[in-house]
Amino acid sequence: MPTPYIVTVGSTPVGKFDATGRELFSQAIEDAFEGLPAPREIVDALYVGNQSESYEHQIIYGSQLAEWAGLRHVPAERVEACAASGGLALKDAVQDVQSGAHDAVLASGLEKMSSGGTGTATDALMAASERMFEQRSGITAHGLYAMLAQRYLHDTEATEKDFARIAVKNHRNARDNPLAQFDRDLDIETVLESQYVANPLKFYDCAPVSDGAAAVLVTNEEVAMELVDRDDTVAIEGYAAVSDYLALAEHNLTELEGASKAIHSAYDQAGLEAADIDVAEVHDAFTVNEALLAEAAGFTPTGEGRQIGYDPDERSDECTNVQVSTSGGLKARGHPVGATGLYQAIEAYEQLTGRATTARQVNDATAALAVNEGGTGDAMTTAHVFTA
Amino acid sequence: MTNHTHPDTTDDSDEQPSRAMTDGGSSRGELNLEHSLTSAGFFESLSEDRLVGGRCQDCDAVLLPPRPICNECGGSDVVAEDLPKEGTIVSHTNIHKTAPVFDDLAPLAVAIVELDSTGRFPGRVEAPYDEIAIGDRVRVEQREPTEADREFALPHEEDWPLHVFVPLDE
Repeated sequence: MPTPYIVTVGSTPVGKFDATGRELFSQAIEDAFEGLPAPREIVDALYVGNQSESYEHQIIYGSQLAEWAGLRHVPAERVEACAASGGLALKDAVQDVQSGAHDAVLASGLEKMSSGGTGTATDALMAASERMFEQRSGITAHGLYAMLAQRYLHDTEATEKDFARIAVKNHRNARDNPLAQFDRDLDIETVLESQYVANPLKFYDCAPVSDGAAAVLVTNEEVAMELVDRDDTVAIEGYAAVSDYLALAEHNLTELEGASKAIHSAYDQAGLEAADIDVAEVHDAFTVNEALLAEAAGFTPTGEGRQIGYDPDERSDECTNVQVSTSGGLKARGHPVGATGLYQAIEAYEQLTGRATTARQVNDATAALAVNEGGTGDAMTTAHVFTA
Repeated sequence: MTNHTHPDTTDDSDEQPSRAMTDGGSSRGELNLEHSLTSAGFFESLSEDRLVGGRCQDCDAVLLPPRPICNECGGSDVVAEDLPKEGTIVSHTNIHKTAPVFDDLAPLAVAIVELDSTGRFPGRVEAPYDEIAIGDRVRVEQREPTEADREFALPHEEDWPLHVFVPLDE
């Protein structure tokens, strides 16, 4: 089967913008195709990760954004699994190229969350939880993650300070990422003193409301070599999309079983294991989730995910030396929901091609993992393993 | 057993036989809105202070809300069963930033409860957050929907009661 390659990437910075979603998208396309033939000359199909029609009162983003990318008469689909929409768009593109269905597919993501304010975003995100018991009881996304966090603190040695350390690390990383929404250091005290949004999670444990659009071109080797040099490509050696229950109460509250299956499937396809991964973007929508995903990915032993907030040389011997959320993660790069999975792939691409800004570049990085999640915990997980 | 009639159905019990909530019948067969394995059937039972779940006949899992296909083993031999209303808090939180419609309820104490029969589900807790903890015993009760609940409800949900967890003194 053909190996899929990332040939080029592009995006807007993450933040809050006056521009509409399709304008942000076309900026991402121009960024991605700078110095290359126009999308119409290359792209066979388009996928758009997008969470909610609540923000812009718009659906059928496939046709809308194909139009705004100058594409016509191509398959163009919106894909949705809440915050895993972007990862799912990437998975679809990779699958199409690997199966030979298409030679070149554009995976993109878009969210214009700021248009309705925080209340609209809270309500729109609540639609990603189970209706009958969770939503009707008034339980928000942060309320559900808070119950994961509460049980995690109860069953492990982790403390709220450990969660805070993850937020501080990711804010520090974001300072070196020109795409990031935030450019300011946090300290642990500031995180710990911030207001509870849902105990034990505080304001600074949570990713922000963000706007952004991102695009990743996935092609087979032949097209890749026509367009760019080998050093400018990244191979996608493993991928998986795995569902788990939407209702949080059905889950094992301290272990992301679906995420673990997705990640290890991607490792197996790539012939790699956890210790081989140099950089990872995991879904830190809430700090607790970075700890849980560090365990699911095998970066730390079970129950020791709190150690992921420490520098590699400060972790115990059973942990790997992976650098996690070098982009700043969802927490500090920002979380334009449907685009987040593509921003994760962009960070993997920049790290593996040596294009990351000097301060955040991980030296000699050859393998990267991106884990994108939708719903509470791992209701949907996409995992991709990339190699230089 | 009362014969529950609905505004949109005939009250002639010969033509519209009662859908007894503990019919014990398998989910195989007709599923209609009064069936105990549907959401409407669940809430009709709850309005009579009964907590009805699905019980998988293949793997014994308790399914809440009840449903025709077991999410544990994939089997479809599920029957309705009255469940005990006592259980234990397995996790909880206090939601300070609610969705706008629920602003008046904030902070909102909620929990995931595991019933004594097994079977877990989340809901509001009728106690301040700082008075509840993991391991606490609670009882499931039903409440009339508040004004905010009705505003949040979709048309088919408007009359559904709300389940809540009430701490037990044990």
